[in-house]
Amino acid sequence: MVFLRSEEHLERWLAANGWEPGASMTATALHELARRWWWTRLEPDWRPRRPEESQAILDGLGLTGDFWRLG
Amino acid sequence: MDELDLRIRNQIYSSFVQTGNAPAPAETAAALRLAENEVEAALTRLHEAHALVLQPDGNGIRMLNPFSALETPHRVEAGGRSWFANCAWDALGIPAALHADGRIESVCPDCGEPLELEVGDGALTRGAHLLVHFVVPARRWWDDIGFT
Repeated sequence: MVFLRSEEHLERWLAANGWEPGASMTATALHELARRWWWTRLEPDWRPRRPEESQAILDGLGLTGDFWRLG
Repeated sequence: MDELDLRIRNQIYSSFVQTGNAPAPAETAAALRLAENEVEAALTRLHEAHALVLQPDGNGIRMLNPFSALETPHRVEAGGRSWFANCAWDALGIPAALHADGRIESVCPDCGEPLELEVGDGALTRGAHLLVHFVVPARRWWDDIGFT
């Protein structure tokens, strides 16, 4: 996924590539998602998250609905 | 993924964070006093478990998420070092994983204009107005993680 300057740039970028719109959020919202998703990645006792743990992170930020279902 | 796989994974991540380069299997094997073929076998298992991503030809590491072993449009500086990230999410993930402030240089894929974001004291202090777009739904993220 990418950063874009604005909604106008997003719409033009999707049209230029022939892609259907997926899901958008602000960089601020993505920052919070990144903090929760990656915070423990370099810790020595890191273990892979179970799918339900990853889903809980998305759910906890209101990222619900079919687009955000991991499986 | 067993304890040996995790030791190998942790060594690779540690080396990458320090040097900015993905270590060759021989380097990881030497650091952990293992045989090179043990490391190569573990790399395959770690790739299959989505704990890292090998290059499509299997020759070398492509992603140590959130870090990219290859140059990308997303460059991240933190603590006086810099790395590339795989995508917007990973770019913000690098300061998070390092528990550090950071500065991100990216580019708008529509117009090519440079974009800058900064993370300070755990908050996004620059670039908060930018948009992020996910084209691929979550259940298909790993179908083609490079595109995702």
